[in-house]
Amino acid sequence: MNLRLAFVAVCLMMSCLRPALAQRGLKDIPSPDPVAELAAMQVAEGYEVNLFAADPLITKPLQMNFDPQGRLWVSSSSVYPQIKPGEVANDTVTILEDRDGDGRADAHTVFADGLLMPTAVQPGDGGAYVANSTEFLHLSDTNGDGKADSRRVVLSGFGAEDTHHIIHTFRYGPDARLYFNQSIYIHSHVETPRGVRRLNAGGIWRFAPESLALDVFARGWVNTWGHAFDRWGRSLVTDGAGGEGINYGFPGAAYLTAAGTPRILKGMNPGSPKYCGLEIVDGRHLPDDAQGQLITNDFRANRVCRFRLTEQGSGFASEKLSDLIHSQRVTFRPIDVKMGPDGAIYIADWYNPIIQHGEVDFRDERRDRTHGRIWRVTAKGRPVLPRIDFTKLSTPELLGQLKSPESYARDMAKRVLFARGSEAVVPELSKWIQSLDSLDPDFERLRLEALRLRQGLDRGSQHDIDADLLKAVLASPDARARAAAARIVCDWADRLEAPVELLAQTVDDPSALVRLEGVRALATLGGRRAAELALHAADHERDDALDYAVWLAARETKEAWLPAVLDGTFADDGRFGRVIFAVAAAEASAAVPRIVTAVAGGKITDADRQAALSAIAKLGNPDQLRVVFDVVTSPATSPAQATTLLDDLLDSHRRRRVVPTGDVSAIEKLVMSPDDACAARAIEATAAWQVTAATEELAGIAEAGSRSLTVRNAAIAALGGLPGDPPRAALLKLCTNAPGNDEGFKAAAIAALVPRSVTDAAAQAVAFLGTARDAKARTVVFQAFLKAKDGAATLAAAFERASSTLSDDAAKDGQQAVSASGRQEPALTQALAAAIARASTAGTQPAASPHAMDPAALDAFVSLVRDKADVSRGAAIYARENLKCVTCHRIGDQGGRVGPNLTAIGASSPLDYVIDSLLYPAKNVKEGYNTVVVQTADGQVLTGIQVTRSDAELVLRDATGKEMKIPTADIDEESAGTSLMPAGLIDGLSREELADLVRYLSSLGK
Amino acid sequence: MPVSPARSSHGAYLLLLASFLSLSPLASLRGQDAAPGQTTSRSSDVAWSLRDGDRVVFLGDTFVEREGDRGFIETALVAAHPEASLTFRNLGWSGDTVWAESRGVFDQPAKGYERMLALVRELKPTIVFVAYGRNESYQGEAGLAAFRTQLEKLCDDLRTADVRLVLVTPHRFETADAAARNAALAVYSQTIRDVAAAKQAGLVDLFTQLPTTATPGHTLTENGVHLSNAGYAEAARVFVAASGHASSADVAARSVTIRNQVVAKNRLFFHRWRPANETYIFLFRKHEQGNNAVEIPQFDPLVEAAEQQVRSLVKGTR
Repeated sequence: MNLRLAFVAVCLMMSCLRPALAQRGLKDIPSPDPVAELAAMQVAEGYEVNLFAADPLITKPLQMNFDPQGRLWVSSSSVYPQIKPGEVANDTVTILEDRDGDGRADAHTVFADGLLMPTAVQPGDGGAYVANSTEFLHLSDTNGDGKADSRRVVLSGFGAEDTHHIIHTFRYGPDARLYFNQSIYIHSHVETPRGVRRLNAGGIWRFAPESLALDVFARGWVNTWGHAFDRWGRSLVTDGAGGEGINYGFPGAAYLTAAGTPRILKGMNPGSPKYCGLEIVDGRHLPDDAQGQLITNDFRANRVCRFRLTEQGSGFASEKLSDLIHSQRVTFRPIDVKMGPDGAIYIADWYNPIIQHGEVDFRDERRDRTHGRIWRVTAKGRPVLPRIDFTKLSTPELLGQLKSPESYARDMAKRVLFARGSEAVVPELSKWIQSLDSLDPDFERLRLEALRLRQGLDRGSQHDIDADLLKAVLASPDARARAAAARIVCDWADRLEAPVELLAQTVDDPSALVRLEGVRALATLGGRRAAELALHAADHERDDALDYAVWLAARETKEAWLPAVLDGTFADDGRFGRVIFAVAAAEASAAVPRIVTAVAGGKITDADRQAALSAIAKLGNPDQLRVVFDVVTSPATSPAQATTLLDDLLDSHRRRRVVPTGDVSAIEKLVMSPDDACAARAIEATAAWQVTAATEELAGIAEAGSRSLTVRNAAIAALGGLPGDPPRAALLKLCTNAPGNDEGFKAAAIAALVPRSVTDAAAQAVAFLGTARDAKARTVVFQAFLKAKDGAATLAAAFERASSTLSDDAAKDGQQAVSASGRQEPALTQALAAAIARASTAGTQPAASPHAMDPAALDAFVSLVRDKADVSRGAAIYARENLKCVTCHRIGDQGGRVGPNLTAIGASSPLDYVIDSLLYPAKNVKEGYNTVVVQTADGQVLTGIQVTRSDAELVLRDATGKEMKIPTADIDEESAGTSLMPAGLIDGLSREELADLVRYLSSLGK
Repeated sequence: MPVSPARSSHGAYLLLLASFLSLSPLASLRGQDAAPGQTTSRSSDVAWSLRDGDRVVFLGDTFVEREGDRGFIETALVAAHPEASLTFRNLGWSGDTVWAESRGVFDQPAKGYERMLALVRELKPTIVFVAYGRNESYQGEAGLAAFRTQLEKLCDDLRTADVRLVLVTPHRFETADAAARNAALAVYSQTIRDVAAAKQAGLVDLFTQLPTTATPGHTLTENGVHLSNAGYAEAARVFVAASGHASSADVAARSVTIRNQVVAKNRLFFHRWRPANETYIFLFRKHEQGNNAVEIPQFDPLVEAAEQQVRSLVKGTR
């Protein structure tokens, strides 16, 4: 089915299911009175909250940033989520001021209007940078009346395929670049003076306003709504939907949803809810234990959250702390957080009962378009800080502010210094550096601040850079300073004599952080020497982030190092492990002969040998694979080693259809291996490599009870893949006459028959499903047909011809399997519905769902959930095996990862959304859980959620949580599916049980 | 039949005659404007003009997309034809190429290309301006043959019996590395001229006709790549001249009121053809907001009314 047909089909289906259900749980919208909203906040001990500004002064704040005068710039949109025909886009940027310092805004100016969903504002360069849907604008006031009268399109071509994903989160970085983000559904194509820059899906852009240089800093995430820099300039990132808490950003990092990469990194707090905005708080106003805390907002759960970071390896570990604010009010929607000029924490509250972007109608009248608040959080009993107008300070005074304990003051001072320019600042800066006391515990950071100033100032000027200062910081005793300096080398590469050599030490640095930044910098600079150096990092221990960084460097610099490896001039200092790492990472099959030679010559260490064999197995041609095969079948090889290498060989067969040269029947020896894992892989290999001689042994394993289930199932599956009549006969025998009459084995045999002959298998399936009692076994059979091209239709035809009837239960298993395939399969659906109709005593048409409700019934049901249902009974129902909730969903650290994490579902979703999702799983599919349906060249039809996608391979996760790697070349057709969650899972529950389940789910996260 | 061009300027009769005879009326004039040492447009250019009832579609990259929001070229063309009923639909997309590289959205560019063609057909244009080549020129000589092939394909795919084509060469870079960039652009511009000649398409030769940075104190771009308002005003003159008019020194062409109305119309049309939230309204999350798709065609009468208003304003300035 092509994409368009799929849409039509889905649309038709939905039109039948579209009762007016949306967010019924939200009938009771609280009064918008700010006093009441404040009273409903639970604030962490030691803190208090006051209202800084509210509607009508501001409406619907989307982002806020302070300027060096201490004024708060707020961008707001009432057009969001979608402009109406005839509506004039008139969104605003407002400037708020607290002139008397009482913590309340007492002056406001509408700086700009006429905007279209301005999702971000960052004051700077004599005005403000503003996100305006597809455009990145600079607005300025040239006549001094406080209102913007000049509008410059700085960049354009950003996507707007989803208006809660358009460019946002503007923030100056430590390098005086402007960073900004886009989210998953956006495709941007931006012409710059240095060429076209494209970014599909989520990521973080990095922009230098003075040179108009734009590049992508990091990629991925679902709703990339928070980015903050720690005092050493390291990036922390939050995601409004990814659910992995705090993420570590560095140049080239890729996370979930990044387009075109086969490898992604993981966030630091897996299974934690979704966050918007991010600020690292510090300063004298806040208590000691708050210093360095990360503050972000779980707007769905009406919470302001806190995290603590500790440095670990090349990055951090992150720990969630108790909430700063928690409100029971559904309208409290904190979405941005910033430190303010008085040392207080400012929270932008979007104020809206409805947060769902797609899931609730754009025109739902409960979407609030007028309210909005800025809250101010202060520490009780601690004095606020005197506010400073940084624009009024002299240059030496501004430099002095770099010693401030407040990041706010340091950032604002730097902004003004950057604005004053190189000529004014550099002479004073040189004096200031001289004046620094090398015994000051802050000395290393201060010297880095000086270097950062030079970095930003020199980019926009012809001034000579300060290479000596850079070298001094590169040699700093503090690893964080060295790491930051490594990144700066890249920035100054054009103006340094030998930038690559400056980085030579970083790759062998004792600090993993420095190695990571060094590797990324070298990969960016490129060239052979840089590539050879970057690969030094493969000599050392690597955590996930560092391993990723080296892997990426090897891929990015492949053209530089590969010729050297091929002609034998690669400088590996006798460490061949670097070559193996690079060849494997970059999939450089041309270099495999070098590795084969090294293995044959015995010149490599034992530790390198396994990696070398693995690389050969993954990348080699049949002759090279033979080398690995001989190792696998050698008695000297341990079962564990053999298993790993067989995995690699099987992977090569799957991806590239290559088989070791020569007679591979020696694999039969391993079929009999007492090690289950090894035996199962060997059995799989007999089918992949078509070792027909193994048929009898496989049939014996399948039939005899002496081997484990894993091994026997592997044998049955392998019989399905072997050619000729004997394997077919063995399978047919198993279909009807499995050992111990085991339905599991019968089902496995039928499933194995499917790829051989769908018709044969269908005949067996009809007989089997008519009597089988094991629901799991029945499901296995349905799934096998659903995975084959025309499988479902053939099975449906077989049902039609057959006289035997399908039990009600069996037909329902079939319906669930169809539903979980994410496809329609009308013939099979009809056959199953007919079977259910025949099975039902009344013989009438079956109801779509026993729990289907009209609006009135839903009201009554919502009352039942609220008044009578029980959380603990609901928890027990959730845990029932037949409902399969736990198989796919995670709560805390328990459960599967197929469906969305439910840890905070109750806090994030209204009751009727929960009910709707249980009744009609396909109706609202959470971002990142839409399925992809792929038809492969060899006739398989696979459905799953995309894990990664690159030019070479698509990785899908199926309904059982299994990852399927599909070579792009094998994809015949691709279309959009619906949800992997089967409809009708809850049909067996009573109304009361369903109410308990809903009650339990809605309690989660509250 | 062609509408009467340039009412007041001398030579109007000659021009009128020339356009009747389908000659290139301004070939020699253009040659005089060209910068020294530059190839000039060839006299074999196919003449084009705007006619009453023309439905104009603009295709191209950021140059076209931003013209929609500046309106200089469109305003000048409308003003030059006060008696004609013309419609303009701007389908520019930032960063785009002849392969529709910016139009894939969730699909590959090839699908975006098909969608672009389908949309053009839906708009039933009588004349299509095709302005590509800048982004492709970063590939240099190595990319030239592929560019030519695809530009020819695009012309063939756009052309029907009722559609006239006008190819537009990219204006010059004014970046720090302009010399190298313009050397590449010159080659691509020549290819565009060659394709225009081969495909019997009209030509607007911005590459040779727009004054360059060689003219002291006269930059036409904001950032070296994209035209400033002054640049668009100059480009508008080139378009009008290429269409067979001697001058755009018409009150209407300079009218901010008319241009604002043109921009307002284009913004309405932008919401029509590239609506925000496409993912939910038309694509794979259509099941969530597909019901709101009914709003999108509601922009049509607003676009038409706004365009009618443009025509009234033009007539009002006569």
